[in-house]
Amino acid sequence: MKRLHHLSALELRNAFLNGEVKAVEIADFFLKRIQKNNKPLGAFLSILESRALFKAEALDKKRAQNKPLGKMAGVPIAIKDNMHISGEITTCASHFLNNYKAPFDATVSRLLEEEDAILIGKTNLDEFAMGSSNENSAYFPAHNPWNLKCVPGGSSGGSSAAVSARLALIATGSDTGGSIRQPAGFCGIVGYKPTYGRVSRYGLVAFASSLDQIGPMTATVADAALTMEVIGRYCPHDATSLDLPAESYPLSPELEPGTVIGVPWQFLQDLQPEMKANFMASVDAMKQLGAHVVDIDLEVLKYSIAVYYILATAEASTNLARFDGIRYGVRSKNAKNLDEIYEFSRQEGFGREVKKRIMLGTYVLSSGYQDAYYKKAQKVRTLMVEAFEKAFAICDTIMMPVAPSGAFEHRSFHDPLQMYLQDIFTIPANLAGLPAISVPSGYDKRNMPLGVQFIGPQLCDVSVLQYAYAYEQSTKHTQIPPNYV
Amino acid sequence: MSFNNQTLDHLKKLCKLECSPEEDQNILESLTRILEYITQLDGIDTDNVKPCRYVLQGMMKNQMRDDEVKDLLSREQFLANAPDQIGGMIRVPPVMKNP
Repeated sequence: MKRLHHLSALELRNAFLNGEVKAVEIADFFLKRIQKNNKPLGAFLSILESRALFKAEALDKKRAQNKPLGKMAGVPIAIKDNMHISGEITTCASHFLNNYKAPFDATVSRLLEEEDAILIGKTNLDEFAMGSSNENSAYFPAHNPWNLKCVPGGSSGGSSAAVSARLALIATGSDTGGSIRQPAGFCGIVGYKPTYGRVSRYGLVAFASSLDQIGPMTATVADAALTMEVIGRYCPHDATSLDLPAESYPLSPELEPGTVIGVPWQFLQDLQPEMKANFMASVDAMKQLGAHVVDIDLEVLKYSIAVYYILATAEASTNLARFDGIRYGVRSKNAKNLDEIYEFSRQEGFGREVKKRIMLGTYVLSSGYQDAYYKKAQKVRTLMVEAFEKAFAICDTIMMPVAPSGAFEHRSFHDPLQMYLQDIFTIPANLAGLPAISVPSGYDKRNMPLGVQFIGPQLCDVSVLQYAYAYEQSTKHTQIPPNYV
Repeated sequence: MSFNNQTLDHLKKLCKLECSPEEDQNILESLTRILEYITQLDGIDTDNVKPCRYVLQGMMKNQMRDDEVKDLLSREQFLANAPDQIGGMIRVPPVMKNP
């Protein structure tokens, strides 16, 4: 048998079910990998050693007694630290929640554990998932396993670093403007943002509720499909959860004859030559599989970042109002009255980027400015939803790069706006509620991974994973970073 | 539209957030830049466009349920995360003054 971290989650599960490896051996192996590699990578904020070993022992016992085992049996999974696991700390990488012990399970954590996953740790992120580089973590930045000088992307940078270095085989991420797909692209793994509402947000600390969506970050498309079978379920605790039956995700290396792929060439005209060449090669790979490629008009997407930074900050400013220093989280020791508790606790607990976004969100919602900013952005969002609907009338899926470049070095951006502009290719899928996946598409001159996106119409999660699988199987770009083989 | 120190002070009151003078300066500069950038939306004709309030139009429905009391979280569990408590309740400074 291959070494455990060279297996996909599916292969590892089957190895456990066939008795080739014990769950305790799996937990032990991955805990050791985390202990050895986490310091330089900064991928995990907490390691759930006793929980993982306890679960592993229970799984071995279950197997010995021939009891039925779940779809995730024995698979080590990392949870982004803005999702609750009952009894464990959830920090959101914020000093505000240094010691917050989750009193309940996020639906996602519960579903994974019920299917016999081994939850192995909580991963690093930009504070409250606000950022594209993981540099906004209040504790320490995470680093890219392909080159520690580079960022792993964000906000789910701990999750992407953990899976890329195979410290866990699956990690959860949350994606508000690209926070699953961009770090997946930067670290050479698969990252999937499902249709808005497909995965329950219950127990995810909210950033921008109309955009947030949880999804899997995995080494292979098949592992993303497996995870979706488990977590893509209706949940009565989330009012925006889609009341639809759970799907199964059959995958074939062949494309259905007559598949049409849309590419918004005009929107992509400013791509750097190296990125353009990589993207063209991906489009060609799909043509080789028999796809027909058409040009589509998505000019309105050039306004995505402006719309996003109005709507996401407006929603964040209201969502983060609950952090008041009264019921949970830090309370400032310097506060002498109630107002000071709010003001000082928030000052001491939140980092700079979070404060900035709360201020911006408050401004665009404030009296006199709401129509000019917030309502205007909501209207342009409608135009974007309509533009996508029109595009999907003539194509089955849309291909786009994940980001304008591969992973950049730490502290590359001093101007926040320049950093925000890096999300131009991922934000549109959030604004229109669309399923979108990032798949490894090769490497740049620095040998840093690049990614390509497949975006589908709302609710077409099954077909997006199918296109991604056919692409992955015909190109096979996925590799383990050299220092983690 | 001008965004200045006064606007910032007003915002800080609205969102109950204090900042150091250094943070103030940084936030002022960033927000000025971002607000300038988002003025690009002004030129888009949205006269007959409805604001997007829910993105999956075809799936929109009210999720109604009976208003039942459920035992989801015990007092003990809830208070475990409270920064200050007294007699099974959360303690805060006095909010009313003696007459």
